[in-house]
Amino acid sequence: MSNREGFIIDISRCTGCYACAVACRDRADLAGDVIWLRVPLEERGAYPAISFNYRPTHCWHCDDPACLPVCPVEAVTRNELDLVQIDTEVCIGCGACIEACPFGAVTLVAEVASKCDGCADELAAGLRPTCVRACPMRALEYGSLDVQLVQKKPDAAFDDHGIGPAVRYWVTR
Amino acid sequence: MSIEPQTEQHLPFTCTLDCGSRCVLHAVVRNGVLLRIDTPDDADTPELPRLVPCARGRAHRGMLNASSRLLNPLRRTGPRGSGEFEPISWDEAVDEVSAALDSARAEHGPQAILAAGGHGSGGGRGISGAAAMHRFFTHYAPVSYLTGNMSSHSIDLAARLMLGDILPCSDRADLLNSRLIILWGMNPAELHMSHNTARFVADARERGARVVLIDPRWTDSGVLADEWIPIRPGTDTAMVLAMCYVLECKNLADRDFIARCMAGYAEFADYLLGRNDGQAKTPAWAEGICGVPAERIASLAREYAQQSPAALLPGWGPQRTLVGEQWSRAVLALSCISGNVGIPGGALATTSPGGRPLQFAALPRGPYGMGRTLSAPAWAQDILQKRLNPPVTTALITASNLVNRSSNTRANIEALMGLDFVAVIDPFFTPTARLADIVLPAATEMEHPDIVSSWGYDLQAFWSQQVVEAAGEARSDYAIFAGLAERFGLREAYTVGRTEAEWVEYMLSQSQHEQPLREMGVYRGDPYPRVALREFRQDPAAHPLHTHSGRIELASSGAPRYNLPELPEYSEPVPTGTEDLPLHLLTPHHKLRANSSMAGNPWLQELEVQRVWINPQDATARGIADGDRVEVFNRNGRVRLPAYVTGRIMPGVVCIYEGAWYAPEDGVDVGGCANVLTGSELSPSGGTATHSFHVEIERAGA
Repeated sequence: MSNREGFIIDISRCTGCYACAVACRDRADLAGDVIWLRVPLEERGAYPAISFNYRPTHCWHCDDPACLPVCPVEAVTRNELDLVQIDTEVCIGCGACIEACPFGAVTLVAEVASKCDGCADELAAGLRPTCVRACPMRALEYGSLDVQLVQKKPDAAFDDHGIGPAVRYWVTR
Repeated sequence: MSIEPQTEQHLPFTCTLDCGSRCVLHAVVRNGVLLRIDTPDDADTPELPRLVPCARGRAHRGMLNASSRLLNPLRRTGPRGSGEFEPISWDEAVDEVSAALDSARAEHGPQAILAAGGHGSGGGRGISGAAAMHRFFTHYAPVSYLTGNMSSHSIDLAARLMLGDILPCSDRADLLNSRLIILWGMNPAELHMSHNTARFVADARERGARVVLIDPRWTDSGVLADEWIPIRPGTDTAMVLAMCYVLECKNLADRDFIARCMAGYAEFADYLLGRNDGQAKTPAWAEGICGVPAERIASLAREYAQQSPAALLPGWGPQRTLVGEQWSRAVLALSCISGNVGIPGGALATTSPGGRPLQFAALPRGPYGMGRTLSAPAWAQDILQKRLNPPVTTALITASNLVNRSSNTRANIEALMGLDFVAVIDPFFTPTARLADIVLPAATEMEHPDIVSSWGYDLQAFWSQQVVEAAGEARSDYAIFAGLAERFGLREAYTVGRTEAEWVEYMLSQSQHEQPLREMGVYRGDPYPRVALREFRQDPAAHPLHTHSGRIELASSGAPRYNLPELPEYSEPVPTGTEDLPLHLLTPHHKLRANSSMAGNPWLQELEVQRVWINPQDATARGIADGDRVEVFNRNGRVRLPAYVTGRIMPGVVCIYEGAWYAPEDGVDVGGCANVLTGSELSPSGGTATHSFHVEIERAGA
C-alpha cells in the first residue's frame, strides 16, 4: 500500500474551530443528529501542567475495516477508490458496524448506518475533500500517507487498532 | 419554468458577522436553491493565505430554517416580555412603528427616541443594519443614538493618549518575522479566526518562534503556545509594570528609542523605582498581586527584550475590566520601551477597530445630526436612573441583541420594560425581540446584496451577492427603512430613487477596487507586511504622532480628564459587594458565535454545550463533578448550566462564554447568558468591565 492516499492531520495546528465539521455537514446535507466528522477534545495532566489537543475524527476508510466483516447483510463494501461505503438500501440498521468501529465514525439515524463517504465526488473532480479545504489552519491535508512532515513526528497517542486507517496524525517535535 | 436542472452557480457572498474577520463564501445555488457553501480553493502562500471561513461562515445554511428565524411582522398580544405575539401585515406593523415615533416626538421631542443600531448585520458597515437605520433617522429628526465601543474602549483611549491615534497595527503576516510571540489575554484561535492570525502564529512557531500565552485560561490558542502563564484576572498591569521595572534596572530598555521617540519616561521610571510612593514595582511585588512567580516575570522580561524581534499582542479581554485603561497603557508602554516597536516582527497589535478604512462609498446619512448620544455600556443605567432629559420613551433596535450583549441583562430588560414603545428589527427572535411591541423580520446577508469591508486595519472589501430569496415575509433593513420613510414623506429622500441593488451597484461603481470585487467578490489589499510605527521610528521628526510632543507619551496630561492618573500606574480592581462571592467570572467571546449572533443557529450550537468552566480544586470543594448541572449566581442574577471541570482554568476563576441567549425559567436563566451575572459598573473612563465580576457556584437543586 505504498501509494495509499489518505488524511494527514497535524494536531499541533488544530484549534478545534469545527470549520471541517460544519463544512462536512453542509456538503453532505446531514440532518442535525447525523455526525460524520467529530472534533473531540483530549486533555492530559492536571493544573497547571495540563495539555490538550483536538483530534478531527471521521471514517478513515481502513485497509481492513472493522465495520465490514461484521455487517450481516453485506451492506458495507470497499469501492475502487479504497473508500468504505455503506449501501443504505441494504442496511438493516442493526448497529453492528457502530459497535465494531474503534474510531466511533458511524452513527445510526432513522435505523440506517451513516458515515463519511470520503468525498468521492470531490476526489473524482480533482478537488481535495471538503474537510481538508475547509481548514483555516491547514491542519488537514490529503495525499500520500508516506509523506514526512518537517519538524513533526507521528502522534504516539493515536492507536490505529491494526486495521490500516487511511490517516496519519502528526504533532510538532 | 424549466424542469431541466440547471448547472450549479457559485455566487460570492460574505458573512457579515461582527467578528473582526471577513471571508469569501461561495453559495452553490441551483434553480434558486442554496445547496451548500463552498470556498475558493485558490492561491495560498505563507505571506498571503486564503481567507478560509470559520465554522460560522460555513453554517449559513443552518440559519435558513432555524426555529428562531422570524418570518412575519409580529405584534405583542400578552404582557411585554411574555413572548406572546400575533402575526400582522407589513402595513399594520409600519403604521404602528411610525405612529409611535411621531407620538414620542410630539410629546417629548425627537431625543425621546433611541435609535439603537448594533453590528449584528453588516458589522455597522455597508447597507444593512445600523447603516440603513442611521440613514433613516438622519432624514427623520435628531434622535438619540447609542455610541461608544463595547469591545475596545479602553485600549482605544490608551492609544489616543499615548500615540495620538487609534492603535496602529502591523500586518498579521509580519508575525512570521517574530522570534517570540506573547499572546497576552489574546486568543486568536477563538476570535476573528479567519484572518489567519492563529495560522500566522502557528507558522511563526514552525519557523522557530517561541509562543507564550498569558491568560487565566489555557484557551484553544494554547494549542499554538509553548507555555501557559496563568494570571489572576484584572491584575495584569502589575506583571507588565514589573517587566518594565526589570528592563529599566537590567539596562535592557531601548534607550535610543526612548530618547528619540518617547516622552515622559523619566517620570515613568521614577514610578517603577518607587521614588514617589516608596514601592518599587519589582517582580516580587507583582507576584503578590498577579500570582505569577517573580522569577518567571523577570525572565520573560529579559526574553522579550533580548529575543528581538518579539511581538507582544494585547488582547481585548484584559482591557474589558475595571482597570482596562491602565492595563492598556502599561502594556503599550512595555512594548515601546522594550525596543520591539517599529521593527519587522515587533507587532504592537494586529487588530484595531479603526485605522485605514478602504475607500468606497458608504450609504450616506441625511441632514440631521445626532440629537443626543447614550454611551453603549451605560444606556440602561441612564434610563433606569432617570439621568436623561427628555427621557427616552421609545426605542427602535436594529441588528442588536441589546439585552443580551450589554452587561447586566436584568437591568437592560428593566430599562426596556419601562419604555412606552419598543420595536426590534432582526432576522431572529432574540431575547431582545421578545421584549418588543412590534417585531420586524429582517433579511440575512444571504437574502440581500451588500458591499462591506473588514475592520479598519484589514484592507479587504467584499461584494456580497444576494443568493436566495428572503425567507417568509422578511425584508432587508434597507427596504424596511425605505418603507418607514414613506410614512413620513421621506421615501424619495431616503432612496434617491434607488433600489437596494441599485445602491450596491452605485457603491461598487464608486469603489477603487471595482474590478476585483466584480470578478471575485473580494478585494485584498497590499500583500506586503506593514509594520506599525516603522516610519515614525526611523524619523520621528518627519513622522510625528498626533500627540502634544509628537512622541509616544508615557505621562499624559490629558489622562485626568478620563479619571485616570497621568502615568500608567497600577490600580486595584475593586468591584463592590464581592465578600461572599469568591470566584472571579470571565465572560469571553465564543468561537461559534459573534457575540450573540449565530446563537440561534442549531448547526453551531449543537456542536458545543454552553457550560461553566471551573478548576477541579474549586469543583471538589463544592461537590461538583464534570457535567453536573450547577447554578452560578451573584446579586445580579442566577444562571443554571452544566459544569466543565477542567485544569485549563486557574483556581478561583470560572468562565461562561458570553452570547448564549437569555432564557428565563422561574427567575433562573437556563440559556447560559453570561451578562445575567455581569454588573453595571464601568471602568474610570466609562468602558465595559465585563471581566471584573464575581460569583459563587452551587450544585443545581442543592
